[in-house]
Amino acid sequence: MSLLNDTSVPLPKEDIAEGYKRIVLIPELQQMMFVAGETGEPSSETTTLIEQIVHEQVIEMLKRSTALATRRGSRAITTADLFFLIRHDKAKTSRLKTFLSWKDVRKSARESDDKGGDAADAAGDDALGAVDVAGGPSVPVSELSKRSKKKVKLPWDISSFFSEQLPEGEDEDDEEEEEANAATIVRLQAADRRTRGMTRDEYVHYSECRQASFTYKKAKRFREWAGFGIVTDSKPNDDIVDILGFLLYDIVQTLTEEALKVKQEEDLNKSRNGDSDAQSKKRKRETGLFDPPEEGTTPVTPKHVREAFRRLQEKPIPGRVRVWMGGPRALQRTELKLVRYFSLPF
Amino acid sequence: MHKHYTPFSSKRDTLHVNGYHGFSRRSTTPNGRPVPANAARLMNSIEGDLGAEENPRLSVFRNLYAKSEARISSLFGEGGTDKHGNTTNAEELDPQLNGDPFEDAPAPAASTRTKPARKIDEDDYDESEDEDNETGDESPLKSKSTGPPINLAPSSSAMFRGLSSSSTPASAKLASSTSAAKTTEEARKRLEEDKKATEDAAKRSFHTVFHTLENDRDAMLEQKKLEESERQVDIEMGGAGAAANNANGLGGNAQQGTLSQTNLGASSLTLKNLIRMIDTRRDKVDATDSELKTMMSEVRKNRSKWASEDKVGQEELYEAAEKVLNELRGMTEHSGPFLTKVNKKEAPDYGNVVKHPMDLGTMTKKLKTLAYRSKQDFVEDLNLIWQNCLKYNANPEHFLRKKALFMRKETDKLVPLIPNISIRDRADVEAEERRQQNGDINMDGDEDSDDEPIISSRGRKAPGKKAKKGTTARKAPAGVPEGSPAAEAKPSSNHLAPNGLGSNLKFEHLRAESESVMDGSQKDLSTPPPGTITPAGINGILGHGTQSDGMDIDVDSSINGIVPSIDGPNEEAENDDLEYKTWKQVTKKDRAQVTAERHRLFLGDHLNPDEPALRRTKLGMRRWLKNQRQAVSDGALGKKSAEEEAEIRENEESQPSGETLAEGMEGEEERVLPDYYDALAAIPDIPNRLQWLEDSSGNVQEPSGEFLRILPQGLFTSPESNLTRKIEKNLRQIQETRKVTSKIAIVKQMQLQSQMYQGQFQKHEPAPFVEQDIEPTVISEEGLPIAPSVSRAALQRSTAKLLVHAGFEEFQPAALDAITEMAGDYFTKLARTLNEYSQAPQVAIPTPGSQGSGIAFKARFTTEEIILHTLQENGADLDALDSYVTEEVDRAGSKLAVTHDRMKAHLADSLRPALTDAGPDGANAFNDNSEQFVGGDFAEELGEDFFGFKDLGLDREFNMASLSVPLHLLQNRMRSANQAQNPSALSSTPLSDLPPPPPLTPVTITNVKNEIGLVQAFFLAKLHANNDDPLVEDDDLPQKQRFPKPRLPPTGKITSPRKRPLKEQGPGKGHPKKKFKQSNGEAKEAGKDNVAEKESGKEGDKGRKDGTQTPGKKPTTHGVVSNGAPAAGHSGGDVTMGTPTPKGKGKSGNENEGGMISPESLEAT
Repeated sequence: MSLLNDTSVPLPKEDIAEGYKRIVLIPELQQMMFVAGETGEPSSETTTLIEQIVHEQVIEMLKRSTALATRRGSRAITTADLFFLIRHDKAKTSRLKTFLSWKDVRKSARESDDKGGDAADAAGDDALGAVDVAGGPSVPVSELSKRSKKKVKLPWDISSFFSEQLPEGEDEDDEEEEEANAATIVRLQAADRRTRGMTRDEYVHYSECRQASFTYKKAKRFREWAGFGIVTDSKPNDDIVDILGFLLYDIVQTLTEEALKVKQEEDLNKSRNGDSDAQSKKRKRETGLFDPPEEGTTPVTPKHVREAFRRLQEKPIPGRVRVWMGGPRALQRTELKLVRYFSLPF
Repeated sequence: MHKHYTPFSSKRDTLHVNGYHGFSRRSTTPNGRPVPANAARLMNSIEGDLGAEENPRLSVFRNLYAKSEARISSLFGEGGTDKHGNTTNAEELDPQLNGDPFEDAPAPAASTRTKPARKIDEDDYDESEDEDNETGDESPLKSKSTGPPINLAPSSSAMFRGLSSSSTPASAKLASSTSAAKTTEEARKRLEEDKKATEDAAKRSFHTVFHTLENDRDAMLEQKKLEESERQVDIEMGGAGAAANNANGLGGNAQQGTLSQTNLGASSLTLKNLIRMIDTRRDKVDATDSELKTMMSEVRKNRSKWASEDKVGQEELYEAAEKVLNELRGMTEHSGPFLTKVNKKEAPDYGNVVKHPMDLGTMTKKLKTLAYRSKQDFVEDLNLIWQNCLKYNANPEHFLRKKALFMRKETDKLVPLIPNISIRDRADVEAEERRQQNGDINMDGDEDSDDEPIISSRGRKAPGKKAKKGTTARKAPAGVPEGSPAAEAKPSSNHLAPNGLGSNLKFEHLRAESESVMDGSQKDLSTPPPGTITPAGINGILGHGTQSDGMDIDVDSSINGIVPSIDGPNEEAENDDLEYKTWKQVTKKDRAQVTAERHRLFLGDHLNPDEPALRRTKLGMRRWLKNQRQAVSDGALGKKSAEEEAEIRENEESQPSGETLAEGMEGEEERVLPDYYDALAAIPDIPNRLQWLEDSSGNVQEPSGEFLRILPQGLFTSPESNLTRKIEKNLRQIQETRKVTSKIAIVKQMQLQSQMYQGQFQKHEPAPFVEQDIEPTVISEEGLPIAPSVSRAALQRSTAKLLVHAGFEEFQPAALDAITEMAGDYFTKLARTLNEYSQAPQVAIPTPGSQGSGIAFKARFTTEEIILHTLQENGADLDALDSYVTEEVDRAGSKLAVTHDRMKAHLADSLRPALTDAGPDGANAFNDNSEQFVGGDFAEELGEDFFGFKDLGLDREFNMASLSVPLHLLQNRMRSANQAQNPSALSSTPLSDLPPPPPLTPVTITNVKNEIGLVQAFFLAKLHANNDDPLVEDDDLPQKQRFPKPRLPPTGKITSPRKRPLKEQGPGKGHPKKKFKQSNGEAKEAGKDNVAEKESGKEGDKGRKDGTQTPGKKPTTHGVVSNGAPAAGHSGGDVTMGTPTPKGKGKSGNENEGGMISPESLEAT
């Protein structure tokens, strides 16, 4: 509830001077963080830091996919380029595919419903929002949408080995999808645990936050924020923007979760080391039945975020062999890694 | 006696030994030492001197000598005195010897005093050889003891070879001069010997000791200085020479001098002695004087440049003096400061301190101008130099003092070599001689007068008797008793002996152990060994080793006592290691020369481009080889016993000893330098297998069999492993799937096109992946073959394989090249890192062992660690590799399999419309074998001779392998079927909407009456023909059996409405046909077998891949059978419907029989 009002959080002056890109996106960011588990109110420093990280990530993505497109000989980024960036993250790829196919569903639904009025529009929006978060289970599945659901084909998929395409329709129960589902289920379970004790109002707020998107209905602002036209020449289509939004949402979530983990560890460490006698006494008192519960819920601070980001950068990407062609490893400039969800052992 | 001879000769230069060894033995055999033997020895020794300088002439001289000697020996017959005479003579001499005053060096004198005594004893030969304390050189002397007793003393005391003792006549005539000559000769020889021995010693160390080149530059500079001074002397001499000659009274004699120089030279000495000998034994010589004279003139050769007919003793004195002077000058290390006059600039006050400056250069000058009259003069000048130096450099620390002291010591050593003679005019001497002869005539016998002419004739040959006799006679008065010069000569030679020893000592130790044997073998290398050539081999070779060994040991022991006393001073003056010093001395000149040569190559700091290039010479290489072999034998000889030595020698003899490399190169002088100074001549070791070896019959031996090997197979193919198997399986799977997709594409195309042509679709038949190994290759190297291009090709193939695995069908060569380059680069890095880690320094681990705390070393990294590190360093890790295998290979494999199955199903689906639409019979006939449709090979399904081609003999006519239906014949159906299926096709829509009309009731016997009467008869006839079975409607007939619908061609002419005879088209005919087919199932199957065999023969191992298109292969058999079932149901209870089942059975049986298809294999694909 209070988060809704957080749009009015005072921003650092330099951000204001720089422009409005961050102003625009920080509320969404906070919502996303809330969904990811940050219950406290993160300071503007924290959000700004996260926003910066996310910004950096989106620029990196655009840069790389542009490079890929250029190598391919075209100026326009395609979805395949973006897919290529996350190709090692099978679960994410799978979820993104699902997202895109549902987006397709939504589009066709909208087309068919255009004549019928805007009534269905809201449903579609709902679907999108849900897909954004969980990849589909909450979406009402209609016969129509299922029929027109299109699979995203990627050039490195095995189906692309062959000149003839298989007919659609048959369910391929991919391991990828299983993975994706597994990852989703973990998240949903976490969300379940959180929402279990929520009041109705809280849950409303929570579900509103779940629908937060960088891109939905703010595509223009997003484009400017992400540096379209600067980083990449082309004017990416809606798909690209949506994919970016999806990925960024994922990044924010991963980052927040990791930061929370860091904070948790830090707290644990503090208490275990006996930061001070007073602290331990406090602890003892806390265990009491009538202790005020607010004590432990301090928001993550920039240092947590930084540590989280560092950890995420440290992690090697499974399935990916980065070959150093130029000499000893120490001399290599490490590239910026795209933050990926890795809490599941693949 | 032989024993004594042989070591002697073996020690001498082999050149001399060659000719004379046998000879002297022959002459000695009966009576001991006849004159010729002495003469021979004499000649030998002289040649020894000459040998070094006059090699070319030597052979000529030797021949001449051999001739004359032979004659002389034959003349003399059994001459010679007996031993008793010798001993008495020696005894007589003894007191004389002892009584004589010695000029210097009392110590040597003392030693000489004892020696002669012993010597004399030995002459009796009663003593054993153990007492023979003298050097081996002495043995010849004993042989010479046949000669007059006077000569015995010097000879024995000098422990020296032939010359000294050589048969000087007892007569006093010429005694002084001859003894003087003898001592000079001795001195020279001694010097030579010393030098040679030192050189040998140094040479021996060449192979064992390495010296740095740091002293070479100094040597060069010193040598330069020496040459400089010589040149200066020459220049100064140049102008004054003639005048000086005149002033010295030689001017008038000049012509004579030059003549004698060219004609006689040093050999005159030999002749002199020979002549004297002949004179003494004139009575025993059966030859006329003229004969002798001619012989003499033949033999007579050069004389030294100092020789002068007028001056008695000049030649000897100057010869010796020059040698000494040169020797001293040659010690450039120390003599450097004394070579030239002291420079005024360097020492302005020199003149004040030193009143009579003197230097070696000036002495040389003086010598050349014949300014010295006696030994005394010469020695005084020498000492003056050192004294001057010591005087001027009073500071005891001064470095020049040290040098001067050293030089003085050397001088003291060398001076005794100079015969103590004063130069006298010949006239005086001859007068004296004559006087003496008159007195001593008894000793010589009667025929002195006969001798006279010979001697005098020789003397008269120098006719120019100048008036200048007085000068020479000054120091040697005519009245000098003859005994005294001889006596003088003796001490000098006595004194010389220890000196010689002293200088020899350095190497005597070395030599004592191995020299005698080594010398023998050494010489064997370059020249034919004496032992083998001498006829009396028994004495020759065997006598060599043993005897000389004994001798040398004796020498050693006898000498050892003297060593310290003589070496002492040397060490004092020079701190250097004795060996090193010797080495320096011996090699100095050559080192200087080499350094100078090298120096010439440079211009400033750079190579001088104008200098001629360095080239290796045959001579150099030969010398190198020789030295090398010698070194080997040296090393071997040090340890081996005599027998082994002999063996080695034999081996060496049997070898041609590399002489072929350079024939006729003897002329070039030999350098006394280690091999490493002549790097150009070095010959690397050639591996055995590269050497040109010939067997006994001269055939070249081919050693290739020993090292050639065949490269093992599989070096350039991917190794067999789980991963490669998986990858290859995936590759095959991809190919299979591609085949299926190509068929799908064809089917799709058939659906769209209205017209098809034969050959429009090429069969998609990818070649199987085969990794071709290289052909069997023979290599000669060890280890892995280095073949970059082949390796790269192999890597490229592997890369290409992975690319195919990643889904590429083909690639541009440039892209493949680029990827290959990257892969190669990466692998190089991997290998390098791997290497680095595996070569990390070992770690020491203290191990508490039983024998104390040992330290073991172990590799820093284990193999596992090395691999992990390497991967880590290069950006990979095990997880990445593992996930690659699971994701990209395993999972891809399963996905590919799934895709393949689905593709096949898709193909079947796309074909099905054509089948289902084909009517009841068609469905059964084709029985869902999609491949057959595509391949057009379903003729068998319909019956081998479905079209009657076989009956018509068409197959034979056109040589058709299989009577399959061309694909394009199917096309029409496919298209129509497709159109019928396609919902968009307009024609199908109305059809589907309207209910089909009720099927016509078949005409039977019973209901034929209902028909129109006109046709009843027709129907009845039909029924009758059909065995009263119900008739089949045309539309219900299989497509092929239907009547073609009569169509009017554009021409409007009805040409041949029926393509086939009527009887076949009736339903009645169709039935028996089917039956026939059924009954002939076996035959048909046999036919199919044939076909299958043909196919398999045609396709060979590709069969499996192409299986989808061969008739036998029906991967989807079961599925399609089930599909076919409804169709069969639809067609109703037609009799023919029974056929599919047996057919299917037969088919499956056939499959099993043919072995080409089995259910398992179907699933595997």
